Amino acid sequence: MLRILTLVLLFAIAFPRSSSAQSAADVQAGKVLFGHLCVTCHGFDGAGGAGPPLNRAKLLNAPDDAALRTIIADGIPARGMPRVRRTLDFEQRQLVAYVRSLGRTARPAVRGNAQKGSELYTKLTCASCHIVKGQGGTLGPELTDIGVQRGPQYLRQSLVEPGAVLPNSTLGVQGPGYSEFLPVRVVMKDGAEVRGIRVNEDLFTIQLRDLSGKFHSIRKTNAEVIRKEPNTSLMPSFAGKVSDAELDDLVAYLSSLGGAQ
Amino acid sequence: MKRPKPRAQSLQSALATIVLLLTASAGVFAQVSYQRLLNAEKEPQNWLTYGGSYKQHRYSPLTLINRQNAGQLKLAWAYQMQRPGVVETSPIVVDGVMYLTEPPNSTVTALDTRSGRTLWTYTANIPPDVIVIGSPPVNRGVAILDDFVYVGTVHGHLIALDAKSGTVRWDTTVEDNKHGFYLTLAPLALDGKIIVGVSGAETGIRGFVDAYDAKSGKLVWRTYTIPTPGEPGSETWGKGDGWKTGGGSTWLTGSFDPELNLLYWATGNPAPDWNADNRPGDNLYTDSVLALDPATGKMKWHFQFTPEDVHDWDANETLVLFDAPINGRERKLIAQANRNGFYYVLDRATGEYLASAQYAKQTWADGIDAKGRPIRKKGIAPSLEGTLVFPNIQGASNWFSASYSPQTKLFYQAARDMGTIYFKGDAVYKPGTAFTGGGGRAVNGDVASGAIRALEATTGKMKWEFPLLSPGWTSLLSTGGGLLFGGTEEGNFFALDAESGKPLWDIQLGGAVRGIPMSYSVDGKQYVVIAAGTTLYVFTV
Repeated sequence: MLRILTLVLLFAIAFPRSSSAQSAADVQAGKVLFGHLCVTCHGFDGAGGAGPPLNRAKLLNAPDDAALRTIIADGIPARGMPRVRRTLDFEQRQLVAYVRSLGRTARPAVRGNAQKGSELYTKLTCASCHIVKGQGGTLGPELTDIGVQRGPQYLRQSLVEPGAVLPNSTLGVQGPGYSEFLPVRVVMKDGAEVRGIRVNEDLFTIQLRDLSGKFHSIRKTNAEVIRKEPNTSLMPSFAGKVSDAELDDLVAYLSSLGGAQ
Repeated sequence: MKRPKPRAQSLQSALATIVLLLTASAGVFAQVSYQRLLNAEKEPQNWLTYGGSYKQHRYSPLTLINRQNAGQLKLAWAYQMQRPGVVETSPIVVDGVMYLTEPPNSTVTALDTRSGRTLWTYTANIPPDVIVIGSPPVNRGVAILDDFVYVGTVHGHLIALDAKSGTVRWDTTVEDNKHGFYLTLAPLALDGKIIVGVSGAETGIRGFVDAYDAKSGKLVWRTYTIPTPGEPGSETWGKGDGWKTGGGSTWLTGSFDPELNLLYWATGNPAPDWNADNRPGDNLYTDSVLALDPATGKMKWHFQFTPEDVHDWDANETLVLFDAPINGRERKLIAQANRNGFYYVLDRATGEYLASAQYAKQTWADGIDAKGRPIRKKGIAPSLEGTLVFPNIQGASNWFSASYSPQTKLFYQAARDMGTIYFKGDAVYKPGTAFTGGGGRAVNGDVASGAIRALEATTGKMKWEFPLLSPGWTSLLSTGGGLLFGGTEEGNFFALDAESGKPLWDIQLGGAVRGIPMSYSVDGKQYVVIAAGTTLYVFTV
């Protein structure tokens, strides 16, 4: 009985005020937690980065608070979102409150012009390597939903310094954390040379796709040199090739892809 | 004394013959006496216990597959698990029958070792809301004693099955799963007793080692891994009640020395894992090895690897027993490649610390002092913003078996060179829910790696290493044929030269290799067994 009374008292102390005051406190506490656990991928104020922007009213995988809570609790491992650490009920509630608050505040206006960006995308022949809505080449990553998947800052960096922001494996072909589209140069023992992106790798073999799209299966013992080239990309950098304003236009266009709003 | 009539005598002897024949035919299937377990090494065709013998060497003396013919290894048969899950089983083999376990419901299956065909399968009635926090719902194998096969289950039971039919002989609740207790380990069969430990530190259990009567399933003794206030060691928990929810799981099969009559059992992390606010002190006997009297469970000595652990570095790794000279004197030794990145050698009669060596990347200690205690660096504790420390949360090693070859005198260990960004969080105890106080973000992918390292067993000095692409979860098997078998997360299974580490054979099995390899022979052929993905593969030459 004493225990029940204590519980009731504890409950009264823990949830003393109106729901809006509670919610404001949750938003503040959630912001602190977000800064520790989420900011690395989702960016400051949830503006997005290597992970999706969260500063929007509708979140693709979290139509309601219950769904958002589940994602916070478990991550979405199949899409590359880990559970950073196990969270308690009240921490999940605080994170939900903060993330939802991001969607209610006005987002900073996108600097560029998406229409101009779309024209530039065509002019720069980006489609020779990237697919948008089923159209384009397959050497680079598909961009159909890129505006939902990545934040503007990440997209801008990938145009200027593509090797610095190679995406991490999300679909588990190579296992979590591995760089996708990693350039690899292989010189075989007979002198033949292959340069391409890594498709997969195990202890004894490596699979590459070269610039022409051809697959190469290599037994490592048959290779003289296998040089992985981290921090490089087969995609050219557009730094100095387009103006700052044009970069803004491209970022605006890419950010608009995937029904982002 | 009156002589019996000749006729009566012949009837008597005929009856005796029938009785003998009946006993013998019953014995053909599964009469695994304690004597046979004691002398397991004399039956290289079988694999009678989890680690191949009480010494946990995971060494097969068989030589039919060897350095000369390993390149010709080919598939003999395969077995598909009945349900998806993480397969971490070490089969045992007795006289032509293999007993293995399957996830996620602690299923036991008996197979014909010649054909791979199922003889029987048993799954306990596991409730859908079973609580398994701290690992996937895996199972690492069974024990056998006389005609019973023993399995620990994810709902916290120890069950004895008839070895011939898989019928339940008895079913004992070890501890309430509603409080987070569950079993993943292969039980250890001693003389008339079955020894088990429990998982559950991530829900704030208080761990223990149990001994059950093999015939009836009645509890014989229980030894808690955390002392109550006033008992020796209780001073290492501060003044609060942190000890009550202090963890110290016992989730990996121990080792046994029949001559010293000592049972060795390793213990896991203190709870909550990453927040020590309510448990200031060394937290005995977590992250330790305990030497117990198998008759009573009384603790004879203990050695703690990681005092006041805040990184979840359980000491539940293989405890390998071997004898070797140290400084010119023959010693009875116990060795372990611990999750904290150091390899330790102790005197197994007394628990005296003898040697240690770093065998994997670590950034938390400046070394180990003369008594075996780590010299801890500053600034390594989990924090709100995250602290990068090596080894990672899963450790430099973990449940996966090491191997010791009496032929090479090397201790083989898959080492994980990987870091984690450790976070500290709140912990609120509620029975059967997570009580971890933080967590971590893995630093994985291209920046993490691993290797199989062959260590000089008495010193831990590395003799050779075989690099892996990623930190592995591979158990190792060494053999009398001079081979070392292991696997990778990317699905490779391979044989190395146990002397040099040179690769001799490999195959891609299409799923991460989490199974525990072992070997047996039947009809004059040797087989090597490994589970990858959800398939058990059996190879021969």
